Amino acid sequence: MIFNTTVMRYKVLTVDDSRTVRIIVRKAFKSYDCEILEAGNGVEGLAIAAKDSPDLILLDVTMPVMDGVEMLTKIKSDPQLKGIPVIMLTAEGGRDNVLKIAKIGVRDYLVKPFKEETLIEKAGRVIDLKPLSDQPTKAKSIFDPADILAVEDKPAIIQQIQEGLKHMPWKIHGVSTQGEALDYCTKTPPDLVLMSLSLPEESAFNLFRIMRTNIKTKYTPIFALAVKTETGQQQQAQTVGFSALITKPIDLGELEAKMCKSMNLDTSRRYFSIEPGFLMMRLPENCSPAVLAEVANYLKPKFSEAVDAGHTRMIIDIHELKTLHMGVIKLLFQAMQTCRELTLQFALVGNAQIVSECKGFEDTRNWLFCDSIDEAKSTLGKLGAAVPQMASA
Amino acid sequence: MSATAAINEQLLRENITRAINDVFSTMLGREPTFMGCTNILPDDGMSPPASGPASGNTTFVVGTVGFVGDINGLIYLYLDETLARHSTCHLLGMNEAELEQAGDEVINDAIGEITNMTVGSFKSGLCDAGYMCKLTIPSILRGSNFRIEPTTATTRYLYHYESAGHKVTADILIQTDE
Repeated sequence: MIFNTTVMRYKVLTVDDSRTVRIIVRKAFKSYDCEILEAGNGVEGLAIAAKDSPDLILLDVTMPVMDGVEMLTKIKSDPQLKGIPVIMLTAEGGRDNVLKIAKIGVRDYLVKPFKEETLIEKAGRVIDLKPLSDQPTKAKSIFDPADILAVEDKPAIIQQIQEGLKHMPWKIHGVSTQGEALDYCTKTPPDLVLMSLSLPEESAFNLFRIMRTNIKTKYTPIFALAVKTETGQQQQAQTVGFSALITKPIDLGELEAKMCKSMNLDTSRRYFSIEPGFLMMRLPENCSPAVLAEVANYLKPKFSEAVDAGHTRMIIDIHELKTLHMGVIKLLFQAMQTCRELTLQFALVGNAQIVSECKGFEDTRNWLFCDSIDEAKSTLGKLGAAVPQMASA
Repeated sequence: MSATAAINEQLLRENITRAINDVFSTMLGREPTFMGCTNILPDDGMSPPASGPASGNTTFVVGTVGFVGDINGLIYLYLDETLARHSTCHLLGMNEAELEQAGDEVINDAIGEITNMTVGSFKSGLCDAGYMCKLTIPSILRGSNFRIEPTTATTRYLYHYESAGHKVTADILIQTDE
């Protein structure tokens, strides 16, 4: 089934007699997935509103033919149009004028001159504005920099996170209050936020709500940090929609894995690399179920990618692995099977412990291992075009 | 309120300077500096008329918006053509080539809107101070070596600003009770 995504686009109607303001509005929204409709006065505005049912109307107050106040009155008395939210734009920001506008049932108002960011922020509170991607964006990998904001009033926790994740190319910025967090987000919208639920006066939940209403942080993953025993707080965090929950004491491995997943980072380069003449697959020292699942997901695409690029050989390196278990064996079977399907020649590199453990299983006792990468390369080099039987299952 | 007699130069200066700074910094990314004020006295028929901001060969784009109510008057906002073009490009996200193709009408619209916002902000300050008034629609003058002369009695001040080597002048004319 094919879905036409264009029909889902929000429509924003700008009604202003100034062509300049209409261009500014169009410019402000150009990075967001929405359609801009234009009218030069209230009469045109009403006609377009009736025909196109916009999701938001940006309405100037002072216009010829029919001004904004009259158009708004007509919108509010029309059963079909009265539900459309309206943001008024006015060049006259005096107290009386603002009070008058506030009383006639608008969702918000904006005084000219206005910054484009302010317009987008106000519109983003009314409609679910989504940034527009002109072309498929390159997936970010674990080797790309990212800005992480940690909102935590205990410096030791921030330090622990910074220390524990220092091997990642991430900049972890620690702040201790809601105000500092919002200031930081205004200047540098972060890629991910870690937020302690133990901030004073429940300000974490307040901060979460503010961030979710701000267009810049609306879709930013926000993790809740909570003490393991604070189950009430954890439930509340799940209810309001935090992206993930991390309990203290923090398991930094779990934190890193969840952060990678939330930021949709390509982690394949941890396990797969293209070396001169062959594809390398490496398993780490400890293969947790999460690691195995991650590697299994990358198997077929990475193998196919290598074959597509002209590679015919690969090395499966498990020499760092501490112990063999069923999960690892299943993954290796899957990898070998994929090699055969793609006629990839492969060699296994292990360590004494793993080789010994393999002898103990019926299915793995015939597996042949090389002692080093160099030996594996040399073995593969001696082989002909035929698929080797050296590691048959 | 019969305001014209009571309004003083300080109120005009503070409001126009705030309005110009607000509009120029928000919409044009500029921070104009106040350079001084000139009081243009009514023509007595004896002295030579004072030269205006557009007295040389430089082409100026001048936006004008009036205000009518407890206080009546007009503000002319003078920008030299180069500044008007730069401002339009910044405001509309265009480059020089696009602006050239779009023509002077786009510049007139943009400077008209800048003037409208400036006088709107100035007028809001007057309203907050108790001088209720409404704005008229903006219009544009263009040219070099010209002078604007009121035909009725006015109190008139020129407020001079500078922004990155360009001069900006706000010419405020307030109708006085005769």
